[in-house]
Amino acid sequence: MLEGAGSSISYARVTPLAKNYVSTIALALIPRAVALNLAIGAIVAALKLPVYLDSIGTVLVAALAGPLAGILTGVTSNLVLGMLSSPTFIAFIPVTAVIGASAGVASRVGAFRTVPRAIAAGIMIGLLAGAASVPIVLALFGGVTAGGTGILTIILRSLDLPLGSAALISSMSVDVLDKVLSCVIVAAVLARLPRRLGARFGLPHPAA
Amino acid sequence: MIARLGGINPLTALALAVLLVVGTYVVPAPSGPLAALALAVSLAAMAGVARRVIILAAAVSIPTWIFLAVMNAIVAPEGEVVRVGGFDVAPGALVPAAWISLRLGAAVAALGWVVMTTPPQRLVRALARRGLPAWSQYLLAASLAAVPEARRRAREVLDAQRSRGLAVGGGPVARLRATLALAGPLMVSLVTEAERRALALDARAFDARGARTSLTEVADSNGERTVRTVMWGLTVVLIVWGLVR
Repeated sequence: MLEGAGSSISYARVTPLAKNYVSTIALALIPRAVALNLAIGAIVAALKLPVYLDSIGTVLVAALAGPLAGILTGVTSNLVLGMLSSPTFIAFIPVTAVIGASAGVASRVGAFRTVPRAIAAGIMIGLLAGAASVPIVLALFGGVTAGGTGILTIILRSLDLPLGSAALISSMSVDVLDKVLSCVIVAAVLARLPRRLGARFGLPHPAA
Repeated sequence: MIARLGGINPLTALALAVLLVVGTYVVPAPSGPLAALALAVSLAAMAGVARRVIILAAAVSIPTWIFLAVMNAIVAPEGEVVRVGGFDVAPGALVPAAWISLRLGAAVAALGWVVMTTPPQRLVRALARRGLPAWSQYLLAASLAAVPEARRRAREVLDAQRSRGLAVGGGPVARLRATLALAGPLMVSLVTEAERRALALDARAFDARGARTSLTEVADSNGERTVRTVMWGLTVVLIVWGLVR
């Protein structure tokens, strides 16, 4: 597996799996990223912060290994959360798939190379995630979930906004804040990652 | 009976849970969700987890009902309004809110019963026997196994940062800063570790295409397979009925 390359060590591209789109190293990273989503999500909830940060592992994998790896991370995260925490997370699998896919596409266009680009990517991912969650919230929860987003929806309903619009605006507002923060953190981490490790994912180093 | 339920194939339990969830949403309220909830709680009682399943379902459905009641009956009243204590209240909105919460509670109970009585690794093995690819088996099993380790490492990093003087109390900004100081080292360490694990996977012929064997087999009798086929068939019938109704 190891090949000498001048003064530095480089690695041959690992065997592609999952229909030739996801490498072994990406598959090895995904379970750790899923666990990171759960661990950071639990800590943020314990610290009573107004964000979730429970997609930070998904965004990291998508930034390093592309949209399919991002989708796999998001889907696996909510499946595991559904098994370990509450089955309601299973209903939101499409939302986490959208987050993984959009973060992977954003990475392909260099969205994690600078902080301003990461902020723009976070806004885009947050808007898409918010839009994806609204049909689920309307169909299964009657338009409001018990939590910060639900309180925002109720406040917007008190201003005579239709239920769909109130749910959409509250979901997008919360998701944009959360995903901007996640993307900025991922960009900062990628900038500190050894260049050799980024190259192992078969992509140009996102911070290069 | 407890042993009997514990011994059923996880895919049979999953098929029953999916049938109950679909029934909850397709059969009109309150009869559909009530029947599904009663069956899920009965199965949970047979497995000795009824209390936990009821708590799990109530933890989702009761707050949802309260939020829906506040929104649709008080804040933005829907339907006929009566004056109560200086507020316009729509009591008619409480019933639809109850049905939404009941459906949610029944769905959570149906899935919760399976989650609480089926070890995840057993479910993965049963899925593998039905043809789940090796890479997706690894994703599920390794993710489930990685969660306790990640939580332990998160606590270790947090303790290390605290020992360097990081404050985790105070306002939201201070708490957010503490979280960021935690997330960075955790993320770098997981990427580094993934490289080692990828080499280990490759060294163990992870991408080999031949048939694999398992140390332990999950029993799957002909009778259970037949019952499962009937349940999947009923699920499809319910979905079609729900669409054309």
